Amino acid sequence: MLSLLLKSMRSRIIPTSLVTISLMASMVLLLSIERIQQGTEEGFNQSISGVDAIIGPRSSSLELVLYTVFHLGRPTNNITTKTVNDIKQRSDISWLVPIALGDSHRGFRVIATQSNYFDHIKYGNNQSLIFLNGVAFSELSEAVLGSDVAERLNYNVGSEIQITHGSVESIGSKHDDFSFKVKGILKKTGTPIDQAIFLDLKGYELLHLGWMSGKKVFSLDDIDLSSLPAGALDPKTVTAAFVGLKSKITLFKFTKSIREYSKEAISAVIPGIALSELWSIVGLVDKGFQLLSWIIIAISLIAMVTLIIASLDNRKQEMTIYRANGASPKFLAIMVICESLVIGLVAIIGAIILVTIVTYFATNQLNLALGISPSFKWISLEEIKVFGLILFAGVLSSLVPAVMVFRKNLHQILS
Amino acid sequence: MLETLGLEYHYQHGKKIVFPEIKVKRGQRLLISGFSGCGKTTLLSLIAGALKLQAGDIKFDGINYSSMSSLLLDKFRADHIGYIFQTLNLIPFLSVSENIALGIRFSQSRKSKVNDLNQEITRLVKSLGLGKEVLTTPVNRLSVGQQQRVAVARALLGKPDLILADEPTSALDAETTKKFLNEVMDAFDSTKQAIIMVSHDASITHYFDTVIDLNKQHA
Repeated sequence: MLSLLLKSMRSRIIPTSLVTISLMASMVLLLSIERIQQGTEEGFNQSISGVDAIIGPRSSSLELVLYTVFHLGRPTNNITTKTVNDIKQRSDISWLVPIALGDSHRGFRVIATQSNYFDHIKYGNNQSLIFLNGVAFSELSEAVLGSDVAERLNYNVGSEIQITHGSVESIGSKHDDFSFKVKGILKKTGTPIDQAIFLDLKGYELLHLGWMSGKKVFSLDDIDLSSLPAGALDPKTVTAAFVGLKSKITLFKFTKSIREYSKEAISAVIPGIALSELWSIVGLVDKGFQLLSWIIIAISLIAMVTLIIASLDNRKQEMTIYRANGASPKFLAIMVICESLVIGLVAIIGAIILVTIVTYFATNQLNLALGISPSFKWISLEEIKVFGLILFAGVLSSLVPAVMVFRKNLHQILS
Repeated sequence: MLETLGLEYHYQHGKKIVFPEIKVKRGQRLLISGFSGCGKTTLLSLIAGALKLQAGDIKFDGINYSSMSSLLLDKFRADHIGYIFQTLNLIPFLSVSENIALGIRFSQSRKSKVNDLNQEITRLVKSLGLGKEVLTTPVNRLSVGQQQRVAVARALLGKPDLILADEPTSALDAETTKKFLNEVMDAFDSTKQAIIMVSHDASITHYFDTVIDLNKQHA
């Protein structure tokens, strides 16, 4: 029967393949949306790990996470080093890593921090940062690069880089009086860390010595660095601080007491909560797209059934000959159902291939836009269920033409 | 072999036809003639088991049609009857030999009567005056006469007991009709098979041993 069916379908190749393509395209749409959503969510959630709280100036927690974790947007305010040191003294704290943001190098954000950043900040499922080449900075003129930075700008350990004031390169904004030497390059993480340049906070402070209100007042060349008093390069303010607690049980108590800190308006954000808050906004848009693509699949299935019903009239001769040669109505009905199965299966196979290609490129785009790179996968159990559901819906709707064929009396066809 | 018993048919539009009793033996060639609308095709459909009996019965080798479900009748038709239409006998997207092979596609017993399918198809095609090359010719490039011969080959494949033909020559000219019928009658096995043909063409009666005129029955 299959060979008869395939030959019959081949004789109607143009409408059949158009319907198959539309079904396939709608499945590609649904799956791509689903995959990009999952990938983004996964990427979001894996972008920071091991950090119990992020302390920053009082603002929305979303904002704080966006610029500290994703390096998106710019900090509106800073917190004083004094406050940071105060918090560091607390007995419930295990470690604290301050960061200062604001500068960049050829489009990549600069994170000024301390070398213990590389010990405490984790990603994915509690994975530590690993140096692909070199080691962490130990002097104020040294830098560490994320893997994408090193790769795209073709830097190696030993390369010299200059930092731009702010995030956009323009004339006169360069800190061209001081260069940093690349000391280490991190292994790829699939998080925004890959697109960051890490400097020592003291080096960062040094860069800004001659600057006031975003303008260079005097050059570093005019200063004798050795004559600087001790503590001159300790920053007065930082953007935020990552915190690890001795015990997670005290987390909520900790954030509450940070909010109630009286000397400065600061807040503490729990990354997991902020990320899920962020996700609930992005996810809502995704849900809309998802609903839309299910509707498109339903339309494609209706188009398929319409095609089969419309073709029945043209296939009268074919059906009559089968029946006159002894084929039962059941045979014809099964043939009709199998046709929808064949269309469905071909569409699914095509969709899997296309979706794989689409997600490959989408993953690259996500990586460029957000710095996250979700793991690449072939097909998930969830997707097999979706395919099964679509196939089932296709077979179910093909019961309409199948019953039509089944009920048709042979004599009605003969005469 | 085949016998009709008090067959009647009421059409939905109110017309009623009472058919004459028909008895067909193996080797017999029966022509049912009459003007269009006299119920020739209806009678053929009843015999083919394609139309549900309303009154009366048909007995085929001792089996009553009225005792069989429509599913059994489909199987019965596949096993015992070869059917030839007036026109459009062939499936355009199948090759000529695939079209012929359809004759035994749905019948185990007819399949078992064919040892070498390709050889048998070639034999039938030759006996019907067609060259071997038609087997590879696309169906839509065959002439109507060739198409009807292919349809006959399909009806004969696997030696069904009864061949039913519904005006197979109506689309053929007189010369081709003559040739066609000669070949059909030669190819048909008069020891085992019977043929019932429906036609309004009075010029072909001499090919048949029995002629039933449905118009005369009504008169």
